[in-house]
Amino acid sequence: MDDLLSLDALTMRFGGLTAVNGLSMAVKRGTIHALIGPNGAGKSTVFNCVSRIYRPSAGRIRFDGRDVTGLPAHAMAGLGIARTFQNLELFNELTVLENVMLGAYSRHETRLIDRLRPGSPRTRAWAEEILEGTGLKDCRETKANGLDFGRQKLLEVARALALSPTLLLLDEPAAGLRSREIERLDAILTGLNRERGITVLLVEHVMQLVMSISDTITVLSFGEKIAEGTPAGVRGDPRVIEAYLGTTQPGEAAREETASGEAAHG
Amino acid sequence: MDSDIVFLFLQQGIASGLVTGSVYALLALALVIVFRTTDVANFAEGEFYMAAAYLAFFLIAIVGLPLWAAAPAMVALIAAASGLFQRVVLRRVAAARGVSVNLVIATLGLSYVLKGAVRATGFGDTPRSFPSVVPDGSVTLGQASLSYLDLAILVTALAVMAAFFAVFNLTRTGRAMRAVGMNRRAAQLVGINLGRTERLVWIFSGGISAIAAILIAPKLLMTAEMGGVVTLAFAAAIVGGFTSLPGAVVGGFIIGIAENLVGLFVSTRAITVAPFVIIMLVLIFKPQGLFGGRLRVRKV
Repeated sequence: MDDLLSLDALTMRFGGLTAVNGLSMAVKRGTIHALIGPNGAGKSTVFNCVSRIYRPSAGRIRFDGRDVTGLPAHAMAGLGIARTFQNLELFNELTVLENVMLGAYSRHETRLIDRLRPGSPRTRAWAEEILEGTGLKDCRETKANGLDFGRQKLLEVARALALSPTLLLLDEPAAGLRSREIERLDAILTGLNRERGITVLLVEHVMQLVMSISDTITVLSFGEKIAEGTPAGVRGDPRVIEAYLGTTQPGEAAREETASGEAAHG
Repeated sequence: MDSDIVFLFLQQGIASGLVTGSVYALLALALVIVFRTTDVANFAEGEFYMAAAYLAFFLIAIVGLPLWAAAPAMVALIAAASGLFQRVVLRRVAAARGVSVNLVIATLGLSYVLKGAVRATGFGDTPRSFPSVVPDGSVTLGQASLSYLDLAILVTALAVMAAFFAVFNLTRTGRAMRAVGMNRRAAQLVGINLGRTERLVWIFSGGISAIAAILIAPKLLMTAEMGGVVTLAFAAAIVGGFTSLPGAVVGGFIIGIAENLVGLFVSTRAITVAPFVIIMLVLIFKPQGLFGGRLRVRKV
């Protein structure tokens, strides 16, 4: 298996704060990869660097063998990178179906008429298919802001899928969902990964989901990688437990962890 | 005032109001499309319109081009200049983490530059009249009388609005413009190029303002200050809710008709007050504008 996405010494500084510090990691093609860590560990920052909302202070981002560090944000869709946002970013005044159809904006349309005219029958059929798969078909004519929170989260995923992505970045897709909704999300993501071979990178705090679907887990703390491996391996890692639960002197512990994390992975 | 006169005044007021209103509607449309997609209230709108009128005057009266060549050339030049302004000035202000206010001030700056430029040419010294481009004569609709020029203004304005609505609602480009107006981040996520879309919006906005200028210029005296008419376009946009395209058009017609009715029924000196009275009434009874949708409470 080759690397679909690789980060090479990625660093992101905001003024004096280093949110991500020299992070190197690789997401293998066809896997579900989770990025976890305590609040403020820099997970969302990594996502925002990959989807080009932030310009990294240093380091390279490679996608499918190509350096994409300097590309503009809107170019990522064309490459096949889709993402969802932790705090929903939907087209609120549009219906569920229209949101998903707009998600297909960058899909390569070969016929001129389809390029000029949005909402061609083919795009519509494609959007309907996605709604079917994500279980949103019943509310296709509902405005996005009229959906309950769980469905809005699902709609973000559905819109991302409309792009027919190679890589799907999910920023806390399960946050705020009820356990039944999480089970459904689990089933949808596993299905997408197995049947359509979509590579998934997700940031998530809901361990039930992370442990169940991930092939690989990378653990961040204070912007640095402290552990990486299979769910079982990561779960038992003492550095991970310490990062999450803390010690009596959190500051000191963090520094020690960082040092040992670098030794283990550098 | 007996009822016959009232009825006559009503007809004439509405007919003339539709004509001037259609020009306000175009200018309001130009303002609203920019505001919707870029969050910038374009204070240089009136000066685009003024510069367009002078450019048309220059091409027709000085260079000697016929109208059919001068009008499209002028509209294309103004549209391109508007796009260039976005590309060269606004993009840099935005890149320097400029917020909406900085961008608005950049448009104010542009308005002074354009006024200064027109004065510098010497054309702006004295009020000038635009060469007449439509034959004299008039038609009677009901009891209202409209000149050929009035009819040409109304018909052209409506055609431009229809064309823009078609682009906005039916094409991929229009869809991108709407998406950017709704949620910039989401638009970028689905692969819409924000810079390019904004530039296109400015190009359209400049083109529409230029068309408005060539329509109304023959009816007015041209001065470097003629851009002040944009106040009425702002009024129309506010009445319509400032983000609604149909609202801008309806607002334009309301302002135009109100001005004419006030002129006929009250006094021509009261005309300038009419738009502001309407703004106040709208802001009191429907603060979000006629087409502004429901009031939303924002989390702060």
